[in-house]
Amino acid sequence: MKNRLSYLIIVSIALFMCFLPLANNNVDAASNPSNTLRVGWTSEPDSLSPFISNRVSTFELHLLFYDSLVTFDNDLKPVGRLAESWKVSDDNLTWTFNLQKDVKWHDGEPFTSQDVKYSYETFLEANMGMYSDFLKGITSIETPDDLTVVIKTEKPKANMLYVTAPILPKHIWEEVKSDELETWPNEKPIGTGAFKFVEWKKGEFVKLEANKEYFGGAPKVGELIFPLYANNDTMVQSLKIAEIDAAININSNQVKLLESEKDFKVLSNPTNAFTNLGINTWEDKASKGNPLLLNNDIKHAMSYAIDKQKIIDVAFSGQGKPGSTIVPSFLTDWHNELSDEKNRSYNPDKAKATLDEAGFTDRDGDGVREDKDGKPLEFRLYLRSNSPEEVKAGQILHVLLKDVGINTNVETIDDGVLGDRIYDNGDYDLFIWGWSTDIDPTTILSIVSTDQIGNLSETYYSNPKYDELLAEQEVTVDFKERQKIVYEMQNILAEDLPYIILMEENAMQAVRTDKWKGWTPVQGAFFMAANNFNYLNIEPIEETLSVSATTESSEKSTNSWLIWGGIAVLIIIVAIAVRARKRNGIDSFDNM
Amino acid sequence: MKLNYLIKKVTNAIITLFFVLIINYFLFRVMPGDPLAMMLRDPKASPESAEKLKQLFGLGEPWYIQFGLYIKQLSQGDLGMSFLFKQPVVEIIAIKIVPTLLLVGVATIVSLIGGIFLGILAAKNRGKKIDVLSLSFSLLSYSMPTFWIGVLLVAFLSVHLTLFPTSGMTTSGMVFASSIDATVDVARHLFLPALSLSLVLLGQYVLIMRNSLMDELTEDYVQTAKAKGFSEKYIIRKHAIPNAMLPMVTVISINLGFMIAGAIEIETVFSWPGIGRLMYEALLNRDYPLLQGIFLIISTCVILANLIADVLYGYLDPRING
Repeated sequence: MKNRLSYLIIVSIALFMCFLPLANNNVDAASNPSNTLRVGWTSEPDSLSPFISNRVSTFELHLLFYDSLVTFDNDLKPVGRLAESWKVSDDNLTWTFNLQKDVKWHDGEPFTSQDVKYSYETFLEANMGMYSDFLKGITSIETPDDLTVVIKTEKPKANMLYVTAPILPKHIWEEVKSDELETWPNEKPIGTGAFKFVEWKKGEFVKLEANKEYFGGAPKVGELIFPLYANNDTMVQSLKIAEIDAAININSNQVKLLESEKDFKVLSNPTNAFTNLGINTWEDKASKGNPLLLNNDIKHAMSYAIDKQKIIDVAFSGQGKPGSTIVPSFLTDWHNELSDEKNRSYNPDKAKATLDEAGFTDRDGDGVREDKDGKPLEFRLYLRSNSPEEVKAGQILHVLLKDVGINTNVETIDDGVLGDRIYDNGDYDLFIWGWSTDIDPTTILSIVSTDQIGNLSETYYSNPKYDELLAEQEVTVDFKERQKIVYEMQNILAEDLPYIILMEENAMQAVRTDKWKGWTPVQGAFFMAANNFNYLNIEPIEETLSVSATTESSEKSTNSWLIWGGIAVLIIIVAIAVRARKRNGIDSFDNM
Repeated sequence: MKLNYLIKKVTNAIITLFFVLIINYFLFRVMPGDPLAMMLRDPKASPESAEKLKQLFGLGEPWYIQFGLYIKQLSQGDLGMSFLFKQPVVEIIAIKIVPTLLLVGVATIVSLIGGIFLGILAAKNRGKKIDVLSLSFSLLSYSMPTFWIGVLLVAFLSVHLTLFPTSGMTTSGMVFASSIDATVDVARHLFLPALSLSLVLLGQYVLIMRNSLMDELTEDYVQTAKAKGFSEKYIIRKHAIPNAMLPMVTVISINLGFMIAGAIEIETVFSWPGIGRLMYEALLNRDYPLLQGIFLIISTCVILANLIADVLYGYLDPRING
């Protein structure tokens, strides 16, 4: 057993390790410019392909290295990107887009209308991924010349200007066969966007660099890196010691922590996502839900009984906005701001009164109301175990409902199990989870349509009038007219309550203000916003830029001294040990 | 060591592996949570894409057909396609397993050397202050939760003293002047996670080494050797320690197998891009093929580690019919 030798090895390795902190974070100054923006996140893309991915992180990256025809300005109004201008025919069935001139793909090839035609046709045919659905209704795409695209639709397409589908390079994607689209990873995306893709080290970071020839003006950010963090405590620590410049997705405790420090801009603003109470409103006999829930009075009473602000304060640390309709207030064009009365906001007395009038009273004195046949108002409430906030919210909900005489049997289950129970003939009564929406309201409105029963509809809600309005708003191009219809749909849902929207979720993000300036909230968010405004427009603060440039160029010496030093130390120690050994006689290396 | 012994042990390992395969496969099929539903809970997915996905992953076929398909693919080295990433499972695991092996390997070596050294020190000086100190230290570090040590180290050494980076395996996106610099960068990032992991394992090795050696020192042959006139140091080094190592081999091999999975806590604290985190993500998303692949790899590691332990035993211990 080489006792002594291992002892020596331990000592020299320990010495080597102790010197590590002194090692320069040596960088090749030329290839690591100091105008690098580091934005930390806790969830990375699942895939870079617009046909495969379902994640917000991929969507965010697509905003950076791809462009769509039309994008959103900071007020969520459509504004041209690859399309310079457009016009629509009087019958609203033909759209003509005039494209930007002199746009090049990141590999130098020129961008033409052929690319638009190819992209849209591929999305329509493949029907996969997060973008394909937007192109529904398009019947033909023509390209009379390199800078013009003429799109014809079957019926008037109200969301034509909300299509966020990225335009893909035909010369690259035509090499991919249609049955390969499901798995072709798009590992080195080529786009027209403001940033060029450089590298994705899975599980570690995504790296982009500025597209100096971007037709919309080159960004002042030289390099854009998204390091991935496995937990957001470490991410915030990293932000505090300036290892990163910004953090997406911090949690409510961290918001409070950072708000009080200087050099940080922290925001916590409502987004287009919400948390809701889902109610089983399936009218079919096959439903395993409690039929009492089909009674609107009970649902109205529930709405009156719920103190949404309390739930937000206790379960979500106050970071959220009380929910109202299915179209979150973030979508300023489409949200119908109902009166407190129509919203049935918190009013426990009214809840009790509603139930009393409908004939639900506590006949046996156990604190729970029954109907005239003696059936108690008792419902199963399922909560997702992977969200501690939702679990807390559910527990508060239980108490609030009990106060008005409705009992709930709370069960915390796994997300997948909940999904199973929901889709297995509606084997549930109430549950809490959430949705996030697009800027185009059609997406979220369609979830409670009859069509989606058996697919996405968890509540099995079915209302022919609602379905009619849904179809109508899809083909109403005039904004005011369409808005009226969308408002009407929200009124219907407020009456039938398949969902009680508990809270509109906040985006919680933090940025450092000592290195970059120009941070502007877009509808309340810097990142994962409707557009890529911040990435394009922030500027480095000049003083810090020049300082870091000089310090980095002077640290030219490599870290090889560390290795040589370590080896030298090891040799010295071994030499001393050998000499000590030779003096001791019996104990020599040979006897080991 | 006889050939018979070797063949017997290898055969056992292969049979165990086969049972693991079967259990591994069916374990996921009987768990609740339909993966297809999870994948599609997205307003933009259409019934057509559901069909496509179903076909791609062979779901919806009877179980024996799916299993047969699985065995066939396995024999070709194909662990299937990940539901989540839509890429071959083998590729995904291959990228992630190297960082974990690096972390686990370094931590094992450090904790092993440290553990043996401290254990010997403690056993030699039984009852004295050094013994008590190292015993308490080991028990303390052994009982501390891994992630807690990790978080403490980050808070103190990374944030407070800024000696080491907080997370990751490399400084994100940096292009280095030479490969030496790149190696040093990884080493700087490796220090804290490896330290955390080794501290927890250290305690175990110290305790076992100490007890094992103490037992040996009470044996008759040690008395005999002392009577013969050999120095204490010589006896310990040449006779007692080799015998005391045997229980250590067992413990090391058990640990090696599980450490790959156990590193998940460290990987989460330090955002280390390893297989532990991959496993967690696959679990959250009901990615059956990926989970199956990972579990298979880990089970194979455990079986392999045990096989090596058995073989090593046959080599080290003349009492075993090797």
